[in-house]
Amino acid sequence: MDRAWIDGQPATSDEALDAAAKLLADAVQPFVGGLRTDVAGLRAAFALAKDLGAIVDHADSATIEPFLSALRDGGAFLAAPAEMRRRADRVLVLGDEPATIGADLLTSLSTSEPDLGVRTRGSGRQIMVLGTVAGPVEGHDGVTRIDCASDDLVDVVGMVRARLAGRPIGEGPLGGTTIATIAEFVAAAGFGCIVFSPAEVGALGSEQVFGLAADLNAETRCSTLPLLGSDNAMGAALLSTWTAGFPLRLSFGRREAEHDAALYASDRQLSGAGEADCAVIVDALADGAAAAAPAVALPAIVLAADPAAAKAAQIGFAVASAGRDHDSILYDSRFGSFVGQTAQESSELPTAAAILTALAERLGGRVADAA
Amino acid sequence: MLKRLSGGHVVDPATERDGVIDLYVEDGVIVDPPSDGRSADETIDCTGLVVMAGAIDIHSHIAGGHVNTARLLLPEWHRAFSSRPGETALSRVGWTTEETGLRYAQMGFTTVVEPAMAPSSALHAHLELADTPIIDKATLVVLGNDDLLLSMIRDGESENAIADYVAWTVASSRALGVKCINAGGSAAFKENVRKFEFDDVVPDYGVSSRQIVKTLQRAVTSLGIAHPLHVHCNNLGVPGASSDAIAATMRAAEGDPLHLAHIQFYGYGTEGKRRFSSRGRDLAALVNTTPEVTVDIGQVMFGQTVTISSDELRQFAGRAQASPRKSVIFDHEANGGGVVPFDYRRKSFHNALQWAIGMELFLLIEDPARVFFTTDHPNGAPFTTYPDIFALLMDRSVRQAWLEALPKAVREMTSLAEIEREYTLNEIATMTRAAPARLLGTADRGHLGAGAVADIAVYRPGADKAAMFGTAAFVLKDGEVVVRNGAVVKRTFGRALTLRPEPDKAMKARLDRYFDDKYGLSARWFEVPDGALGHNDPFKVVPCRA
Ligand SMILES: [Zn+2]
Repeated sequence: MDRAWIDGQPATSDEALDAAAKLLADAVQPFVGGLRTDVAGLRAAFALAKDLGAIVDHADSATIEPFLSALRDGGAFLAAPAEMRRRADRVLVLGDEPATIGADLLTSLSTSEPDLGVRTRGSGRQIMVLGTVAGPVEGHDGVTRIDCASDDLVDVVGMVRARLAGRPIGEGPLGGTTIATIAEFVAAAGFGCIVFSPAEVGALGSEQVFGLAADLNAETRCSTLPLLGSDNAMGAALLSTWTAGFPLRLSFGRREAEHDAALYASDRQLSGAGEADCAVIVDALADGAAAAAPAVALPAIVLAADPAAAKAAQIGFAVASAGRDHDSILYDSRFGSFVGQTAQESSELPTAAAILTALAERLGGRVADAA
Repeated sequence: MLKRLSGGHVVDPATERDGVIDLYVEDGVIVDPPSDGRSADETIDCTGLVVMAGAIDIHSHIAGGHVNTARLLLPEWHRAFSSRPGETALSRVGWTTEETGLRYAQMGFTTVVEPAMAPSSALHAHLELADTPIIDKATLVVLGNDDLLLSMIRDGESENAIADYVAWTVASSRALGVKCINAGGSAAFKENVRKFEFDDVVPDYGVSSRQIVKTLQRAVTSLGIAHPLHVHCNNLGVPGASSDAIAATMRAAEGDPLHLAHIQFYGYGTEGKRRFSSRGRDLAALVNTTPEVTVDIGQVMFGQTVTISSDELRQFAGRAQASPRKSVIFDHEANGGGVVPFDYRRKSFHNALQWAIGMELFLLIEDPARVFFTTDHPNGAPFTTYPDIFALLMDRSVRQAWLEALPKAVREMTSLAEIEREYTLNEIATMTRAAPARLLGTADRGHLGAGAVADIAVYRPGADKAAMFGTAAFVLKDGEVVVRNGAVVKRTFGRALTLRPEPDKAMKARLDRYFDDKYGLSARWFEVPDGALGHNDPFKVVPCRA
């Protein structure tokens, strides 16, 4: 079985590593992206990126950026899903995306009841969905849905906050009576929980949601469960934060990490519109390709679990799937942290971490030499 | 290879040495001088320098979910690092695991304890610690607001069963000890309780904070865990109620070891027209007369920082003072917590008195083996302020200069100006080396006797104590020179010191069922798997007492 390719032709790993090292050594501004791998792969990718002075991003960071931006600007109330399953007596679901990216969570909340807390236990759980679909919980006991378009969510949440604060509310998409119903629903919770997708409501919408939770906590208890489209991107952002101080979309171009959510985004760099002139792309997860894989307009070194993707690259390596072919540490939003995942299969293929480390060794600290 | 550190003034209270002595190092440990006359392969000239064991920080929030959230919340964080020269563009430099390890090493610290690891965040915390260079590290795992412990106490389960649960938690999370943070307070806050005292009971469980602390204290003792239960008391920061809480907790030690964290935040009375006063003198007296307790200070220093705590109830209350005005409050399983940025201002009566109370406690607690050197990093101040604190403790004239810069109303509320004590080098070494090692049960460090790990800090003495302790002349980690003239010259990786109690099989089965049934989680997710950390040999197991 072939494991490495140069311009679509089978090559030995050593040949491909040599070619990749040459490509990177000749590049003015490398980009290290994809990052669809485990903690070991991320560590190796960051070590390589630091050596190269590369720009770094994850393929799916767009799904988490609105959340991180809202948190950074205004703070947040955040819950663990498992605690909400035992604690929340009223759940407000905002928008349509939770029905898809949070389907398991919604199902789990609608099929369980709060069993902790004198204020919440015994009264069952009510779920109110503001959206055009309720997805997996449609028609379940205790589930009501108020029709609301995604585009109207931010206004609606703002009006609910105004209503709770006793401020006059103007004309809005839902009408005063419905706003009052929503406000009463969350205010009457013993422990309320707001489920939403930051990518759907945007950074400003996310700030409104955190603001609503803050308002409610003046009198009762409330927290939120932001649903992020990609656990893997969140894990990469967390590791990036402790490694470089910033959650992805950063550059080691001037050695000290610099963060810019627009400038260093994958799409901009890979499309050729950015500074990067060469890319290393890691796509080593079993669950298919990135959500929105952009067209790559740069010479690319691709480490992929899918051999076809590796073969199609200028230089490609077939690598093992993190979490499937080898034991891995991966972020899991059900747990709200990193978990160890034991391999289900064995593979002869090298890990992404091993290839990235071999590449870094071949380059031997390019930046250090240049300095 | 045999290394000799020659001619240095060795200050090593654990072995009762304080004078010019040559030290020998081989294979990463300190050895006796060669009896066969063998000469050293390498000599490090320490003439005129002060030689101590590597320092140990017993309480510094350096890793884990909450710490990382602080980084996310505050990309402008680096301003909190007072030692960073000048202003750097806000977007450019973050506070990283890398910097944490290097900066600690530059000051001669070689072991640091992350004191608030949630069981659910154990793997995350250890991943960060594994990425923190040079220093050895350890963690305390947090219990005392978790449903299972509270249920077990409510249901009258046996002390053995509770100890089995504690042992499983310590073993799974790879901890070195157990911490209890506002026992029952976070659980009560989830029930919308906003004020919680030592004898208040958590709704639904009918279990008091006192019961939780006593139960955990007994479990820790019965398991032979060397480090006493590490307690963060109720009502942190509340004038009057805080000092009542810590006094009640201290009396509840009842002759058995108990460690009380960052006690400066509990030294607050309600006297004076601002209803905020120092109870430093009373609290120090209580510590002096309660020999079974140890304490650390949590000194406040002025400037921007961020508070990171698993005391969700008090962090929620602290949101009102957030500066900048943003904070994150967590409702996780068990403790939860909060991240609240804070700017301690020298011109603020409240903040300046907090600073003075910390100093009073440091200076009025008589036994340097029972008071530990902390800022509760970063809650009172970033650890990079340590050199200034050493100077304040060792030099009365430095204190006087600081006092004179404070609001006059503060000087009237503290007895600090009258306190003449100046810490000696020997007392500093006791407080930051010998005593922490004894407290943690890590006999292989904190001293320079034969057999100790060769973690050694060498300082250039001078009138400016901040300069002396800010940049070590040499630091050896496991026998290798890692710092020279304050600069890191070798980037090694240390290990995590952990206990490894053998968990009871029946308890393990019970917990598998419990986490699955109640939370829909796998108990295995709480484990830090071997091989997870990407280093060979990432752990060093410290034995429990028989
Ligand atoms: Zn602390």
